[in-house]
Amino acid sequence: MKLLNPSIIIATILWLPGLSLAAEFGTALKTDTMRSEPYADAKTTGNFARGEKLEILSKKGAWLQIKTSKNTGWVRLLSIKRGAGASGGSQISGVLGLASGRAGTGQVVATTGVRGLSEEELKHAEFNENEISKLEQHMQSAEQAQKFASQAGLKAVKFNYLPKGVAQ
Amino acid sequence: MKCRPSTLLSIILLLTASYQAQALNLGDALKDVVKEKAGEYINPDKSNSEPSGAAKAGDNNAATSTPAPAPSQPAFNLKNPSQADEIQLGRKITGNLLGAAPLVKDEALQKYVNQVGRWVASQSERADLPWHFGVVESNDINAFAAPGGYVIITKGLYRKLENEAQLAGVLGHEISHVVKKHQLKLLQKTQLLDFGARLLSKKLGNENQTVEKIIGSGAEVCARSLDKEAEFEADRMGLVLATRAGYAPFGLPEVLQSISQITRNDGSVALLFKTHPAPDDRLVSLGNAIGSKLDNIKADKTLENRFYKLKPDI
Repeated sequence: MKLLNPSIIIATILWLPGLSLAAEFGTALKTDTMRSEPYADAKTTGNFARGEKLEILSKKGAWLQIKTSKNTGWVRLLSIKRGAGASGGSQISGVLGLASGRAGTGQVVATTGVRGLSEEELKHAEFNENEISKLEQHMQSAEQAQKFASQAGLKAVKFNYLPKGVAQ
Repeated sequence: MKCRPSTLLSIILLLTASYQAQALNLGDALKDVVKEKAGEYINPDKSNSEPSGAAKAGDNNAATSTPAPAPSQPAFNLKNPSQADEIQLGRKITGNLLGAAPLVKDEALQKYVNQVGRWVASQSERADLPWHFGVVESNDINAFAAPGGYVIITKGLYRKLENEAQLAGVLGHEISHVVKKHQLKLLQKTQLLDFGARLLSKKLGNENQTVEKIIGSGAEVCARSLDKEAEFEADRMGLVLATRAGYAPFGLPEVLQSISQITRNDGSVALLFKTHPAPDDRLVSLGNAIGSKLDNIKADKTLENRFYKLKPDI
């Protein structure tokens, strides 16, 4: 976390992508129970505690198959933070990000001097009529959007809003 | 810089209480007065035609003469804005934001986010708003919503996305802020505070409320934090809207996962991390709300093939 030599990071990144296919790691976001199969009513195979490091073996729907130091089992994917976690060490997460093709150039090197949207810049922003008109020209009607959705086979489904959850 | 409304309100209450000490239940009465006055102040027309008992009670120390609206400046009803008012505010805020970062010059990209965004917005209870979506030229990772249906995402955030379901989740989060009027409520709160501060300094001038006044400087309102709860709520709603639209439900949490991998000291997430709860907390909150509720959802479309690929930067 302290000071990472950029050249070491870059060297590691260049060298590692192949490796990241072999194993993906994660951290438990909460204390939870593992199950023998990816179903809520499957029998339990063990527990893990918040913050525990674990290995991600596979994914099925909303479930991840994981391996802790003691057991293997399935758990809901939102219980796990994928990657070793930026809060722990930036090195591994940076590598995973890049390996999965997600990282832009901003991943490793902080972007400075490039156009940003800092508080200061926002504060001093001046109204741009030309740009807002352009934005408005791109508007799509509900009907156009509906057509766009059906082209990909998207169909509206009924699903109620989620009330605030209870910490478990 | 920022004061909590409760703090400011209690200061006002304390100060005023010193000269009206005998009155019982002064707290509530004054609270009403402040609200009432803020409303009048923002919308002078209304106050002239509807004098109320509560307003009279505050006459000792507050603005005794409500300024008459200048004919050239229409009063803006921030207390109870119409849809047209909301759109007017949102257009101004978004126009300012675009002054800081223009739209990415890629017609196909802009059309694409409008198609996805409009379809997700159609699943909400404010499907009738004239929704606008745009990708702006910035390497920052962030997204913004403004009243009346304006949603902006940065190119930096777009670049992080892998498929259409993830885009739908991100836009769903912003759409939810608009549907729930979170930014509008923030502006209303600020005006009430502003009024309170003037009440304290007795500097209630003969000013009229204009859109500029309400918004403040530039697009600074976009740099302000909403309540943590508003963000969690927008996450839950955003996920639901994308799911209703037929997308795989986990688009938004996947993006949160991706963002959580970025180190805090990376400048591109500075404002996002400052104004939002930590991605880990958002994931846990979403997970707790979802529980087993997605177990029977069949929607699984991620549409990575249709996802519009950005042209490489030159």
